[in-house]
Amino acid sequence: MIKLTHISKSFGRHQVLKQIDLTVEKGEVVVILGPSGSGKTTLLRCVNYLEKPSDGEIAIGDYRLSCKHASKKDIHQLRQKSAMVFQQYNLFKHKTALENVMEGLVVVKKLPKEEAKTRSIALLEKVGLGSKLDAYPSQLSGGQQQRVGIARALALEPEVILFDEPTSALDPELVGEVLAVIRKIAKEGITMIVVTHEMGFARDVANHVVFMDGGVIVEEGPPAELFNHPKEERTKQFLKRITPELNYSI
Amino acid sequence: MKIDPSFIWTALVQLLSAIPTTLVITAVSVTAGFVIGLITALLRIYKVPVLGQIATGYVTFIRGTPMLTHLLLIYFGLPMLLDALSAQFGWGFKSSSIPMIGFAFISFSITAGAYMAEVIRSGLLAVNRGQLEAAYSVGMTTPQALRRIVFPQALAVSLPNLSNSVIGMLHGSTLAFTVSVVEINAKAQIVASTNWKFFEAYLAAAVIFWGLTLLIERITAVIEKRINLYNRGGVA
Ligand SMILES: Nc1ncnc2c1ncn2[C@@H]1O[C@H](COP(=O)(O)OP(=O)(O)OP(=O)(O)O)[C@@H](O)[C@H]1O
Ligand SMILES: [Mg+2]
Repeated sequence: MIKLTHISKSFGRHQVLKQIDLTVEKGEVVVILGPSGSGKTTLLRCVNYLEKPSDGEIAIGDYRLSCKHASKKDIHQLRQKSAMVFQQYNLFKHKTALENVMEGLVVVKKLPKEEAKTRSIALLEKVGLGSKLDAYPSQLSGGQQQRVGIARALALEPEVILFDEPTSALDPELVGEVLAVIRKIAKEGITMIVVTHEMGFARDVANHVVFMDGGVIVEEGPPAELFNHPKEERTKQFLKRITPELNYSI
Repeated sequence: MKIDPSFIWTALVQLLSAIPTTLVITAVSVTAGFVIGLITALLRIYKVPVLGQIATGYVTFIRGTPMLTHLLLIYFGLPMLLDALSAQFGWGFKSSSIPMIGFAFISFSITAGAYMAEVIRSGLLAVNRGQLEAAYSVGMTTPQALRRIVFPQALAVSLPNLSNSVIGMLHGSTLAFTVSVVEINAKAQIVASTNWKFFEAYLAAAVIFWGLTLLIERITAVIEKRINLYNRGGVA
């Protein structure tokens, strides 16, 4: 279980996250929606501690960390509880697909090379890249790179995988293959927090949808409820803008 | 005055014996310079308090002054400093026991360090921030991330400039003759001093330097090909 309590983040004088509270149950898929600049990316980055929250508390599994007093060691511990799938993939450029997946297992989890390799190959096969083990990122399509990114995150067996708009840098025809992989691992009960603009995906896969705007959670609930009966004005306007065909009564 | 082609050959053969000295000076200054440069670059990038400013001062001063000046400052300054310290603490150490080549090692390492710091710094800055973040996200510590992800990529980016630094230090090593170290250039002077055929001797020296430079370029090309394997399909 993941529990964020009063997470705040400011860049200089600009407060981007305002006392966010969010709970994610084990095995749950949480989708975060919201207009550009609402702080979705920043929130995910705070969970992985790529961004240091100004205040608040992060609890993942049995590990709790108060952001104000986090030491380097605490941060390192916390990071190991989550893994990130980036919008721009961020695969290690100088490593092959297989090495990308193995890297964390060997360097961080200290697995013997052979074991890491076997596990990594299995994961790459799972995301449909069994034939691309030795390809460098520059030799892969965007969709393939993102699937390696997902395999790399899965390999670490984190408590939660964080996806930041995993398909928004992709050509439209490649979006499907990546979403298919995410759906597949969602079914396996892996806890995920996904920022996406793919409404169809959010509807089908999410257990819980969160709508953010201006650094706060405006509304949250099960997808059927949030999409069909949004309560807040801002949610309605946002949904209307991105899915005009649904015609929300404002 | 006529050119004596046969003496070019004679000189060339005699100069061969000075090649190791030149190579040792170059190798020491480049190796030590790389370590100094790496530390300096990191101090500057991470804006380490005090040390970062010292690093910046070091780079600007060294790059703003001639390499010969560094050598002379070390040659005349270091013994004074060491002898003073030695007297103060009773080490019983005399600066005259430092071999001449030692001054070249120290001073050229300082020179190379400043130049390589800039090369390494720009290489490190060229690595996309996302690479470091990805390393963190898989749970690496900063030293692990730097060593395994950032440095190899920075090295690949910096290789052409590092190679230039090596060539610069090779050519710069000729300055060691001012502190009586017999490297290739000084040897040429010695070889010619008996018959005054300086042109032929220096021409022979030029040929050797050219050959060594081409060799460094070849080696660079080979390494570049190997470590840039992953960049296939890039712009280059
Ligand atoms: N490193 C930073 N320094 C300063 N301001 C930042 C930084 N990162 C983000 N911001 C600001 O924080 C706000 C939230 O940014 P964030 O990237 O979290 O939004 P987002 O919801 O992910 O938007 P998008 O849908 O466009 O990705 C924005 O106003 C942005 O300008
Ligand atoms: Mg974003």
